[in-house]
Amino acid sequence: MNKPEDINLEPAQPGFRTPSGIEVPEVATADMVDPARVGAPGEYPFTRGIFENGYRGRLWTFRQYSGFGSAEETNERYKFLIAQGQTGLSVALDLPTQCGYDPTDPMASAEVGKVGVSLSNLAEAEILFEGLDLAKLSTSFTINGTAAIVYAMYLAAADKRGIPRAKLTGTIQNDILKEYVARGTWIFPVRPSMRLIADSILYSNEQTPRFNPISIAGAHVRDAGCTAVEEIAYTLANAFAYVDELVARGANPNEFAKRLSFFFYVHMDFFEEICKFRAARRYWARKLKERYGVTDEKALMFRFGVVCGGSSLTAQQPLNNIVRVGIENMAAVLGGAQSIFTCAYDEAFQIPTETSAEIALRTQQIVAYESGISRTVDPLGGSYYVEWLTDRMEEEMEKVIKEIDDYGGTVRAVEDGYLQSRIARRALERKLDADKGERVVVGENYFRHAEQTSDFGEVFRMDPNISSKVVERFKRVKETRDNAAVTRALAKLREAAVKDGENLMPWLVDCCHAYATVGEMVSTLKAEWGEFQEPVRL
Amino acid sequence: MLSPDERRDLAREISRLASASVEQMLAAPPAAPGRSARRIGFTGPPGVGKSTLVGSLVERRAARGTSVAVLAIDPASPYSKGAILGDRIRMDRASDNSRVFMRSVSSRDSQDGMCNNVADILTTLEASGFDEVVLETVGVGQAEHAVKALVDTVVLLMQPETGDAIQALKAGILEVADIIVISKSDLPGSARMREHLASTVRFGAKRAVDWTTPVLGVSVDTGAGLEELEQALDAHAQWATTHRDAVAIQRSRMRYRVQDLILRQLDHTLASLDDTDYAAALPALYAATVKKLLPRP
Amino acid sequence: MSLAGKRILIAKPGLDGHDVGAKIIALALRDAGAEVIYTGLRKAPEYIARVAVEEDVDAVGLSILSGSHVDLVRETARCLREAKAGNVKLFVGGTIPQEDNPALIEAGAAGIFNSSQRIEDVIAELARVLDAG
Repeated sequence: MNKPEDINLEPAQPGFRTPSGIEVPEVATADMVDPARVGAPGEYPFTRGIFENGYRGRLWTFRQYSGFGSAEETNERYKFLIAQGQTGLSVALDLPTQCGYDPTDPMASAEVGKVGVSLSNLAEAEILFEGLDLAKLSTSFTINGTAAIVYAMYLAAADKRGIPRAKLTGTIQNDILKEYVARGTWIFPVRPSMRLIADSILYSNEQTPRFNPISIAGAHVRDAGCTAVEEIAYTLANAFAYVDELVARGANPNEFAKRLSFFFYVHMDFFEEICKFRAARRYWARKLKERYGVTDEKALMFRFGVVCGGSSLTAQQPLNNIVRVGIENMAAVLGGAQSIFTCAYDEAFQIPTETSAEIALRTQQIVAYESGISRTVDPLGGSYYVEWLTDRMEEEMEKVIKEIDDYGGTVRAVEDGYLQSRIARRALERKLDADKGERVVVGENYFRHAEQTSDFGEVFRMDPNISSKVVERFKRVKETRDNAAVTRALAKLREAAVKDGENLMPWLVDCCHAYATVGEMVSTLKAEWGEFQEPVRL
Repeated sequence: MLSPDERRDLAREISRLASASVEQMLAAPPAAPGRSARRIGFTGPPGVGKSTLVGSLVERRAARGTSVAVLAIDPASPYSKGAILGDRIRMDRASDNSRVFMRSVSSRDSQDGMCNNVADILTTLEASGFDEVVLETVGVGQAEHAVKALVDTVVLLMQPETGDAIQALKAGILEVADIIVISKSDLPGSARMREHLASTVRFGAKRAVDWTTPVLGVSVDTGAGLEELEQALDAHAQWATTHRDAVAIQRSRMRYRVQDLILRQLDHTLASLDDTDYAAALPALYAATVKKLLPRP
Repeated sequence: MSLAGKRILIAKPGLDGHDVGAKIIALALRDAGAEVIYTGLRKAPEYIARVAVEEDVDAVGLSILSGSHVDLVRETARCLREAKAGNVKLFVGGTIPQEDNPALIEAGAAGIFNSSQRIEDVIAELARVLDAG
């Protein structure tokens, strides 16, 4: 909080460095750009985007994150959003589901249905997707520690409705490495977790060829306080670790790389955000080609979704966040995102209300249909400044990736707590910078009201009985299901878990069909694999 | 097992001791306890995996009914004198057991990597009725010798492919160890290091004593070597009953206590001398220091 | 402002895994001279109270971003009392709407912090409350 004397102080002239620390020229000139590196849209190395015709063929997916409380309420909210013009579903799950606890577990009690929907067994999935056409809608799950299980549950739900698996589209986040460093929903030690990721990717490639079995995410390390350069670098380092794991399992990167996708935040520094995507696209294609010998053009394409908002939003004067999200949304489009989620202005602090969620979607529609920025492919391509900054960001991200490689790779850096400690220290640095006023946040450290409170207006309040409703239904399912079948399915899962190289997915799908719960499947695997021991190193 | 009140009182007593001044210690030195516990010390370079190993060992022993107190000493930040006491989290599962008492302290400004009045803190834990008292410290060259004076069995940890062994040899601390553990023995280079150390120890300076320091590989992740480590600890305890002299042990602990107090007092004294004192010739400075050091009879 | 000699436990109760705020505070408290114990993720209130007792801390800081702050503060305060450590000051930080402040104070919080506060103000406030005893 500011001291009274700072209120409405004019910030000093901002420096000429980007938030990632890149010193920018007063004016960029033609001699700073090598046209050969830029290339054409839809062609290697894809600096100008992965599609020849940009957004002309198809706009990005408008994807809003929602899910809270019970499956029925979330289902209602989905129907509302689809009626408003949303084209993809995004499922938020509650923490017990994310961490592998059943709603009746003492660890779960305070959090059932709190930050997302409780999806403890197939019966809940059936209610959640009731009346929704899963063959047409693309469904994205923010799930990691239990991603393989939730994916299995989605398949089981589709199976039961008679929807062919080959028609399913959507994404599971399934990026466990960043959970260890920034988001915290890890369950098992790193190595068995890497196996589960490979299992689900391989199974998905075969069973649901239109589904993205992983979305490697930089958003969380970014929100934790990393720079745009670090966001991309840590994420690509994680991606290479997954590629290594899959290659070690004998998979062909020319095939599986086609279904790898990425997920980032867009924050406020407009050009840095645009250029980080251009740089990442080029670096990824180059490394896949050089390091893994990938030749298939489709497999070299860097596809990503973004969230506009996150920690760039403020609790103070929250309506300003609408403007921020609008600017970020434009940066995402100019950077070439395939799917965009815009945060509601109150989202960082509470579950959005229907009004704030609607404004978020309208923002996307205004950018898409009024602004005209998607009319031509990569309108900023060839700008001296944009191309120069793209080159510089690529160099900087390569440096960070090399530091992790030198440490012994991401898996080791995560097991030892090296990455976690790097991120915590950087976060403290960023916080102290903001405190000193070196980074301007309008309405928060500058241009404040004297007596400022965080007033969100209408506040969404969750039905306090949700948790007990969920728990009751859970108990009923456990009583009415065929418990002998559950025991058999879990025993098979455990057998498979000890066998190296055995893909666990078919066994997980069987468990889901038998109405085994997330907690039961996780406990079964924990019994074989143990739990991750957090290496706290600050 | 301690009641909630006893647990809290013991914790407070440790805090009191860890910040007691030399004068306070001299005014009311804790009495020798009527009983003794088995004392085991774990030391080694930072990041070698001491806490993780202590955690799983304590968990195993507590599960068999042994009550254990752990004192973990972490270094303080040289700038702020603050500290992150991070050992506890690595002993997580063990510290949930009611037979276990675990306490982290900062080494604050001590020079040997111990905390102030560590000997008295260990004695206090002993007096509280624990079967075993474990002391965990970061090895800083000095610490190993301090640990040696304070515990019955010293376990020295080293990690493969880090140069730990060479450092230990150079610093002459291999002789301090009663048991050497190569941690993270699933890492490459472990077997070679183990062989090398075993032969160094066999032909080293300790030939005179008939205890051959075992060199063990342990991996907490896989559980490999934990059983052997426990056997080695028991074997050393057995050996100590017939080969260690209680009077000599008592003597070395009292010596550590008095030396600790004198060194701290000396630090204060040296800091309190002014520029004129330091401008004097060496013999005069020495005499002034000694005089100021011992103001009381 | 200094917290020299103060012992503070930073804990993450519940399942919320966003630990950067907790780690930032742990580092900042250390830099202000405090001895900081950090518990890591997913700790039950009973466990937090037990560590608070054994480590004889002056304060416990809970970091909560899941929205369950009122329940978790109340439960931790209860466990501290049960472990005979009712004198330990309990603070809470995270994503907390202002309107929850009265409920948090009633549940046992001696101070409530959010991420838009300056670190130096957080430390000053902690020092003030701890020195007031």
